[in-house]
Amino acid sequence: MEFDFAVITDHARFLASGVGVSLLLATGFIVALLRLYGPPWLKPAVVLYIDSMRAIPVLVVLVWTFFALPIVTGLTMPPFFAALLGLTIHLAAYAAEIVRAGIESVRPGQTRAALALGLSRSQILRRIVLPQAIVRMLPAFGSLLSITIKDTAIASVIAVPELMRQSETVAGQSFQPIEVYTFAMLVYFAMLFPVTRGIDLFYRRVAHLGRS
Amino acid sequence: MTLDWGVVWQNRDALIKGTATTILLTFATMAIALPCGAVVAVLRLYAWKPIRGLATAYVEFFRNLPLILVVYWAFYVLPILTGLGVSPLLTGLAALALNVTAYNAETFRAGINSIRRGQVEAAMALGMSRVQALRRVVIPQALRRILPVLASTWVSLFKDTSLVSVIAVTELAYVSMQVRAQTFRVLEMLTAMAIIYWLLGYPQAKLVDWIQRRYAVTE
Repeated sequence: MEFDFAVITDHARFLASGVGVSLLLATGFIVALLRLYGPPWLKPAVVLYIDSMRAIPVLVVLVWTFFALPIVTGLTMPPFFAALLGLTIHLAAYAAEIVRAGIESVRPGQTRAALALGLSRSQILRRIVLPQAIVRMLPAFGSLLSITIKDTAIASVIAVPELMRQSETVAGQSFQPIEVYTFAMLVYFAMLFPVTRGIDLFYRRVAHLGRS
Repeated sequence: MTLDWGVVWQNRDALIKGTATTILLTFATMAIALPCGAVVAVLRLYAWKPIRGLATAYVEFFRNLPLILVVYWAFYVLPILTGLGVSPLLTGLAALALNVTAYNAETFRAGINSIRRGQVEAAMALGMSRVQALRRVVIPQALRRILPVLASTWVSLFKDTSLVSVIAVTELAYVSMQVRAQTFRVLEMLTAMAIIYWLLGYPQAKLVDWIQRRYAVTE
């Protein structure tokens, strides 16, 4: 059975997923900060965006960005960018909720104490709140990372040549769908299991940094 | 760009049927996955060691797999395993149930483990049997902690039912994409699909928030 390992080993694709994850985290942070500290008129919009993404399936977001968005904007996107955009829009909402929960978990007394000591809002966020909050966000970000990897499989629906799509192609060509899909399952498991375990272990080592 | 939103109204029967299938799938999957998840969790916690290992392997395996892959896999493997033609709906249901059972098992296990061991020891010191301690002391408390997690699993499940559209289960996503393919009204149908999902999913997400506030653990 021939199987295209290039999908997994391809450096460009690894780089792309790295870009994707950083994009996701950055967007998530910005959205969460807007929700917490943004101008009041913006907050309802941010909350609506977050809750809407929690209500709509990722498949629907992906299909919409790939098929419908080009009609609205007049620009056609290659499937890869549509997938990147769709997944980022969807998962950034989850990331934002994680960031918000992390920031809110730091007791308000600390902020007040810092204000009393004459620190500015941004200093407080940077020096006091975020260092503790980020450690507390780690387990949730770990599961988000695993969700992200799993959701990339859904991008096969809009023909992004990731592992899932490649399996479909091979299954179609070889007429051995069971072998191919079972193999793809093992590959996904082999990718995801170390990620989830690794983050668990890492969190156990740094958890004490998040206590206050 | 000319838009014709009438197409949504013309195909309302199909859309309503699809929506009904989506809701049916959500309920049916949960109805299967709740008892099965409980059984797997109990096996994982109290069963004979090899069985415990098997249960753990099952949970870890399905929690670390993309659902869409499980759906495809079930589509090709179920007919061979069972020897009969299984309808797409049942195949999708099986794939969803396999996935959600694993998540529920983990939820139940975590809930039971979250009750401090000292409580079981105290109950046993008072003369209760292990089963009694579990039934009377641990489970009533664990349920309160499990409920918010189950609620968010429910919303995820509702959204994940859209994935069985890839094996032609005629639920909301599949129906909308079918109509899109027949009428070429891409923007209208896809937007309608997103709005229907939003209308159904938004209240659920809000309800989950409320349940999580209501049952927040304060220790």
